[in-house]
Amino acid sequence: MSGILDQIEPLKAAATEALRAAPDLPSLENAKGAFLGPEGRFTTLMKQMGALPREERPAAGKAFNAAKVALDAVLAECRDRLEDLAAAPKEPTDFTLPGRRRVLGRRHPLTQVTDAIVAAFRRLGFAVADGPEGEDERHCFDALNTPADHPARDSHDTFYLDTPGRPLLRTHTSSVQIRVMETQAPPIRIIVPGRVYRRDNADATHNPTFHQVEGLYVDEGVTVGDLKGTVEFVFRELMGADTKIRFRPHYFSYTEPSFEIDFSNALVRKLGKDWLEIAGCGMVHPQVFENVGYDPERWSGWAFGFGIERIAMIRYGINDIRLFYENDVRFLKQF
Amino acid sequence: MKTTLNWLKDYVAFDWSPEELTERLTMLGLEVEGVDRRGGDFAGVVVAQVVTREKHPNADKLSVCRVNDGKGERQIVCGAQNFQAGDKVPMILPGSALPLKEGDKEPFVIKVGKIRGVESHGMMCSSEELGIDPVSLGLKKEDGLLILDPKAAVGQPFAEYLGRGGADVVYDLEVTPNRPDFNSVIGIAREIAALTGNALKVPAATLPSGDGDIAQSLAVRIDAPDLCPRYTARLIRGVKVGPSPGWLRDRLEKVGLRSINNVVDVTNFVMLETGQPLHAFDYRLIASGGEAVPTIVVRRAVDGEKFVTLDGKEHILTSDHLLIADPVKAVALGGVMGGRNTEVSEQTTDILLETAYFKPSGIRKASKTLGLRTDASYRFERGVDPEATEQVSQRAAQLILELAGGRLVNGVIDAHPAPTEIRQITLRHDRVNALLGLTLRPEEIECYLASLGLRVVNRRPRPVDDAAVAEPITFQVPSYRVDLKREADLIEEVARLYGVDKIPSTTPRYAKGQHAFDTRYDELAEARRLLTGLGLNEAQGQTLVSKGSLRGRSADSVVLLSNPLSGDMDALRPSLVPGLMDILRHNARRKNADIGLFEVGRVFVQQNGGVREGWRLAVALTGARSAGFWSGADRDAGVDLMDLKGLLEEFLEHFGLRGLTWTRREGDAGWYVESAAIQLGGKVPLGELGQVQPRVAKSYDLRGPVYVAELDLDALLAKRNTSRGYRALPAFPAIRRDIAMWVAESITHDAVMQAVRQAKAANLEAVEIFDVFRGKNVPEGQKSVAYALIYRSAERTLTDAEVNAAHEKVVAHLKQSVGAQIRE
Repeated sequence: MSGILDQIEPLKAAATEALRAAPDLPSLENAKGAFLGPEGRFTTLMKQMGALPREERPAAGKAFNAAKVALDAVLAECRDRLEDLAAAPKEPTDFTLPGRRRVLGRRHPLTQVTDAIVAAFRRLGFAVADGPEGEDERHCFDALNTPADHPARDSHDTFYLDTPGRPLLRTHTSSVQIRVMETQAPPIRIIVPGRVYRRDNADATHNPTFHQVEGLYVDEGVTVGDLKGTVEFVFRELMGADTKIRFRPHYFSYTEPSFEIDFSNALVRKLGKDWLEIAGCGMVHPQVFENVGYDPERWSGWAFGFGIERIAMIRYGINDIRLFYENDVRFLKQF
Repeated sequence: MKTTLNWLKDYVAFDWSPEELTERLTMLGLEVEGVDRRGGDFAGVVVAQVVTREKHPNADKLSVCRVNDGKGERQIVCGAQNFQAGDKVPMILPGSALPLKEGDKEPFVIKVGKIRGVESHGMMCSSEELGIDPVSLGLKKEDGLLILDPKAAVGQPFAEYLGRGGADVVYDLEVTPNRPDFNSVIGIAREIAALTGNALKVPAATLPSGDGDIAQSLAVRIDAPDLCPRYTARLIRGVKVGPSPGWLRDRLEKVGLRSINNVVDVTNFVMLETGQPLHAFDYRLIASGGEAVPTIVVRRAVDGEKFVTLDGKEHILTSDHLLIADPVKAVALGGVMGGRNTEVSEQTTDILLETAYFKPSGIRKASKTLGLRTDASYRFERGVDPEATEQVSQRAAQLILELAGGRLVNGVIDAHPAPTEIRQITLRHDRVNALLGLTLRPEEIECYLASLGLRVVNRRPRPVDDAAVAEPITFQVPSYRVDLKREADLIEEVARLYGVDKIPSTTPRYAKGQHAFDTRYDELAEARRLLTGLGLNEAQGQTLVSKGSLRGRSADSVVLLSNPLSGDMDALRPSLVPGLMDILRHNARRKNADIGLFEVGRVFVQQNGGVREGWRLAVALTGARSAGFWSGADRDAGVDLMDLKGLLEEFLEHFGLRGLTWTRREGDAGWYVESAAIQLGGKVPLGELGQVQPRVAKSYDLRGPVYVAELDLDALLAKRNTSRGYRALPAFPAIRRDIAMWVAESITHDAVMQAVRQAKAANLEAVEIFDVFRGKNVPEGQKSVAYALIYRSAERTLTDAEVNAAHEKVVAHLKQSVGAQIRE
């Protein structure tokens, strides 16, 4: 009766060979049927086990079982291999081809720069504030210590509107200083990004519409040193850690003392310059405090403002402000 | 304001290099906008004297000379024949270049070299080589070297010998409106003096005694003291008007002024020097009218009065304008420009010299209304020194006497009805330190202010008894510092002189700010993030648009500009759509065909005489649906309305808006082929979307279909619900039943959905449309639609029988209410 047992190994070897030889999944299934199917040779041999004497059956069962496990493993291995083969394309994929994109849009560069500025200020506790773009003389000029015949108005060529209630377009975001101080008590800590308007013909450095950011801090004991520290922090956040800041005396009607801010970094030096003017600032003029009903003896503060386009132009190396407003998609997609 | 390095050095000693001066002025608040180095004419050319002249050993026509250049002797080989030892000639030193002549590409630089074996260290020059006309200099035209006046000083720079300026550096300075005193060379020198501690040397005017008494020759009457608080006049008779000397012409020309004649040049020079504008009249053209003597009347113009200024232009005046007149006629637009009728000319012999103080606001108004801006009006409108008129008059008179001759008429008329108030400002030292963040000692602060000419007039005890702080000090402000009005102004002066750069920065304080807009800013940012995530690029359009481009959008309430720059930009946008269309056009013209853009921005409409500003969101789509790809059947598919709607649905859902309705609008002839209103809960209007009419698109150079949408962001934000809640995931399987049916074209998806809902089928979880088809086998006027209905219970697995029963109800209801023909 040892005949059956003797047949197991050769049959297992044949089955293994047949399985391994299958070139694809259907052939593998055929080979499996030929050996392990209900009518398969291995199954048939196994059925003969019933004819063995009772005492030989456990050994035979064990042998059959081991062979079956081994064949199943071979089958699984072959199946995995042939499945991979079946899944692969006929020709290998050219991974250098461009993929099918799900395209993300881009935020406008001015938005990105504004967000960066806002983020830097918010780290110091500033809240974003806002005010109307259609303004009146009081908020845009008078309360900022720039009455009608003031020479400082020369640089603010103003657009006027046919609406008597709001007769002009704000020429700077400083108007929001007044609006906020009129409605909130100190301390004040705001930044105001927004659109402003000047009656300049468009050219490479002018657009009648442009953006500014205004910062205002009013509290007890605020100093020029605090202003400088804040400006340095914000510009290092924006323009890189190597940024150097220089303050120069200047004049604005609503701050006293007033300063202009120059900055320098690798970008500026690449332009062949030592310094680039970037912002104006100063300590809030006591007259402005009086105009909004704050006591200048108790409160002090600083304000500063700068052009967002200018920052964006320096940051990205853009040489024509009109690009921001033309919105050529080839331009927008670069940011 | 332009000045030069050498000019400044006339008034104050300093040894800064030109670059250092730039830096110093900048850090004082006088921004240097331009630095122009002038080499000076004839650089390297000096007056030299021939000491010996001998024949060249190797050449018949050349001579070897020893020449004295003022510093020593040098050997020069020369080819000219017209000179001898002892002659004085211009000589150019090695390393210098001859002036460029027509046709020269590069300057000819003189080098040390051997000529026929003999070394030559320079070149003696002919008039041609120097490019000058000897006759105009009073010299003989020679064939050969230019032979100079025997009295010429050996070693003198040739330019100086000619009376022309030497090398200098011209600074173009940006003067801020608060510092009119910087509109003068002395004003700038004064700051340098304060910084260096060196003395300011103001030229002292000492007038010779003259003839007669001015009162016998002139009277001044000020009828408008509100516009002209002070008028000072002097007379000089018998002058000879002629060209100015070289130094004066050079000074004026370096700072960009044209030389006119010696008298006018003096008035301009003194204006630049002192900041006080002056005017010279031809005295003999001033009438006495009925008065005893010629009389200057300072008065307002009569409405409609005409006046011709020096530049030949006629102005029609109003009573806002100030005239300098005699009893018969006007002779000048006070503080702005003189009149043609009394202009100083070659025939003028007697000069009436005016120095006056005009009120800034009056001059500003006159200059603006007449569109006439002069060096004088510019200075007056910013405020000149009201105390300077008499001194400046003396300085100018002295220079006129020096340069144009003549005799002074003794005395001066100084009409000064209301003397200017002396300004005093009290300063608290602790306030200086508190604001600047410094710890300056009181003496330092006083020292800075004293260096600027502020004088301590009073020290008074502090109101509070605190020994640690200094007493407040009252300073008298010099009359030329019209900008110093209060304590803060003095603090700025201290900061400037201390050095703004030296003020230490401190770690920024953290303080919590607050404003209602703060959260709004984040919401707008979130909207932008979502929209870019959906593949749109963000645009930022112009706020100013053309009224003509609005095509009826908010036509009645558009806010117009009163002073537009052009018709392209004469209105504030009442909608973002026209601006987006402009942007599409810009892209179309540059062959950017596939565009998906959005803009988040403000729009403006009139409301009760004011402006209502609102935030909007607009989207525009045109061209291909997806990014270019190299395979696939639908790769060339263009966008359509459903792309736009789907994009908006996705955006609105993520932005926190549910329960929207999209209602087709009948007609919108201005813009759309087809459009729909978007509403919340069927009543709150949120916006619109639609396909732009081809004729509108074409007007923007757009050929393919264009889809736009605009949403009211304010309404969106007001109705936003961003709360999120968890719902348990289903524990039991769903059963799907499909319905395919024909319905009339007029039956909307919404109607079908409503019908399904009305059937109230048990356990119906969701309904999804998965096919709409028209054409083959579908009867005309009908469409084939297919829906998947998903049934599920939260408590148990449903049986086929109960799902079938529920589904039958739906089918029956669809047949009945929307006339559906069910397909198998």
